[in-house]
Amino acid sequence: MWIYTLKRIGLSVVIVFCALFVLFALLRFLPGDPITIALGPRATPEAIARYSEKMHLDDSVVVQFLVYARNALMGDLGTAVFSERSVVTMVFEALPFTLLLAAAGLGWAMLVGIPLGCFAAVRPNSLLDRITGVISVGTIAVPSFLVSIWSLLIFAIMLGVLPAIGAGEPGDPLDQALHLILPAFAVGLGWVGYLARMVRASMLEVMSENYIRAAQAFGLKRRTVIYRYALRVAILPTVTLIGIGFGGLLSGAVFAEIIFGRPGIGKLIYDMIIGRNFPVVQGAVLIITAIYIAITLIADLVVAKLDPRVRESL
Amino acid sequence: MPSIRLSRRQILASSLAAGAAGAIGVVPSFGKAQDNVLYVRFDSDIAVLDPGYMVGGTEIETQKAVMPALVEYATMADGSLGWEPTVYASSVVQRDDLHIDFELNPGFMWTNGFGELTADDVKYSFERMKTTDWSGNFEAMERVEVTGPYTGTIVLNTPFAPFPMITLAAGPGTVLSRKAMEATGGQFTTEFPATCGPYLVQWAPQQRVTFLPNPEWTGPAPAFSEIRALIITEDRAAELAFEAGEVACTEITAATVARYGDNPPAGSAIRVAGALQYMWMGMNTEHPKLSDIRVRQAIQHAIDVDSLIQGAYSGTTEKSNGIVCPGLVGHRTATKYSYDPAKAAALLEEAGVSGLELELKTLNVQERILAAQIIQANLGAVGITASVIPVDSGPFWEMGSEAAGEQWKDLQLWIMRYGTNPDPYECTQWFRRDQVGVWNWERWSDDEFEALYLEGLSETDADRRHEIYLRMQEIMEDTGAYVWLNHEPETFIYRDDLAIDVYPSGEMDIRDFRSA
Repeated sequence: MWIYTLKRIGLSVVIVFCALFVLFALLRFLPGDPITIALGPRATPEAIARYSEKMHLDDSVVVQFLVYARNALMGDLGTAVFSERSVVTMVFEALPFTLLLAAAGLGWAMLVGIPLGCFAAVRPNSLLDRITGVISVGTIAVPSFLVSIWSLLIFAIMLGVLPAIGAGEPGDPLDQALHLILPAFAVGLGWVGYLARMVRASMLEVMSENYIRAAQAFGLKRRTVIYRYALRVAILPTVTLIGIGFGGLLSGAVFAEIIFGRPGIGKLIYDMIIGRNFPVVQGAVLIITAIYIAITLIADLVVAKLDPRVRESL
Repeated sequence: MPSIRLSRRQILASSLAAGAAGAIGVVPSFGKAQDNVLYVRFDSDIAVLDPGYMVGGTEIETQKAVMPALVEYATMADGSLGWEPTVYASSVVQRDDLHIDFELNPGFMWTNGFGELTADDVKYSFERMKTTDWSGNFEAMERVEVTGPYTGTIVLNTPFAPFPMITLAAGPGTVLSRKAMEATGGQFTTEFPATCGPYLVQWAPQQRVTFLPNPEWTGPAPAFSEIRALIITEDRAAELAFEAGEVACTEITAATVARYGDNPPAGSAIRVAGALQYMWMGMNTEHPKLSDIRVRQAIQHAIDVDSLIQGAYSGTTEKSNGIVCPGLVGHRTATKYSYDPAKAAALLEEAGVSGLELELKTLNVQERILAAQIIQANLGAVGITASVIPVDSGPFWEMGSEAAGEQWKDLQLWIMRYGTNPDPYECTQWFRRDQVGVWNWERWSDDEFEALYLEGLSETDADRRHEIYLRMQEIMEDTGAYVWLNHEPETFIYRDDLAIDVYPSGEMDIRDFRSA
């Protein structure tokens, strides 16, 4: 297990380094002058000189990359073009909002999707199973931005029962919770379908295993067999999926963040791209990549711990 | 650690209670004014509040709410746009071409214990601006002479008629506290070292800018006890926020103006703040395919601008006849050319041109690509094959720049839009001789244009200035290198129980918002 862990960590470090290089290269190889892109067409010579010095643009590309990589390794991802605020500070200001949104979105999706998958699996081909199937495919197929817009139109504008925009009043948990409902609904709806399908498939597989049939033959209650034995095993692949999905939502919640005007990491990246504030874009994407890789690493280690065959596969 | 256990009965009971509360209205309603708190929308987050290094937009809106200035925009008796002293100044008078005298009202205090607003603060602020990124606005200023605690004179180094409008009334005219600035190192980004206005400002990045009452404020009381500016960067999201009643005022897009038409949401009103943007299709007069003026004139006659405005902008923008925007001295009301495909075809025939193939470049923006496609169809109708090439902002802004290489030689047609301050001088400056290969991508120059430009700077008589800028645009048009397209307006929707104040350049003056 230790060798597997070390190999897996080493691989993660390589991936982060590759991401660092790609992010750096992207900005340099964009068509057009990087200073014009960042500062706009009518920047003054003084502003151009300051930016050039700050970004080491007078140095060779190799030197620029080495400086950027060294600073990144030391936790310095630079500063925003105009405000000169630390990129790390900006990212970690936005991150909690996205973490909360991702947790709430996946949370309600798990509460609904997992039982739905279970019910469908224990009564395969029943009416409930068919209805669950339709709901699952339907929720997977509807893009989250569409759910965002429609939920906002219905619940905030037509009915006026939920707030539309922002993250709520600072220091008012009730207001913040109310502001979380619609974005979390929009972000999580697709996951209801995913989870239901995943749990159903796993449960059907597990329910045909010998040890389940043996448990049933011993006369154990049906509920006990399903929830204590079958679901416990069937849920494992779902746990991995949830881990990866949570990482993906860190940047994937961007539509909900934009439409609901919520602060968050996706919206930060979007706004900075629009504002051509590329040091922040670079830094934010790098941090998200690192977090995503870390979550994937943890998920892989958990699976490897539970399933020895995986350890041999790397 | 204590754990909370809820039975199914308890969960069901809680859900029912929450539902009942919602049904009888216990759950707070949204979008309504609470305790005289006003919600508005800011369309971008704050980056730099320092007037010397700001980006503009919301930063100017924030400055205007909490910082002093000598003059502000005003609508004159004849309906034209002018300026007047702010509440901070008892008088601001242009004594002659080179001197502007001002007198501050006493008793306005800076926050954080930095004393009273004085003429020395004005001197510090304006002379400092000459060394900043916005120094261009102060090029014509020599110095500020302080003649008393509250009095002084702004001395210009050359007659410059637009100075009060484009510098003093605009964002760069913000006055800072010398003592506060010197105490904080002479520069700041997102936190004012001291303010002097009816409000204090608090900023939550990515979320909101909150304006709270300033207890030290001795001027006229503001209409609202608090203003919360929600940062909503996406236009459509802001429109939905307005429809949900969560903001009382927001800028809206041309597409939304068209959608609302004459029937905006109940309880709302629409206001066009200004149209200080001018868009045209340019032609490179030095390109071999376009060097014959008859070809360029044929293109001028070939394009149906009215259809373009309907097709690409749903008829919500004003057709332009030059570069000087509506409401300004020098605004043109007609062009010398008109849409006439037959004449276009005749001019091409006269020039001996057939089967002409051209490239039309535009920024990669939906409306402009649509406009380019309409132009493409118009040109096709007279036998010119145009390829529409959308270009991202980085390479777009270098297309005609000699400093960026030789690519300007291949530039043929392009759609361009500039923004400007409320004075015609600024929009004409980009087409001077020294701008050829910089911003004058059409690459022409004219002695009369140069002379008129200088005359317009120093001329203070409005009628004469009007004539000067009309003639300058006529000279531009006569080159055949321009097809004037439109002026995109800054349009706001707001609750009809509000009276809003918006600058012609599209920034909200939230300090002057009132209940109607």
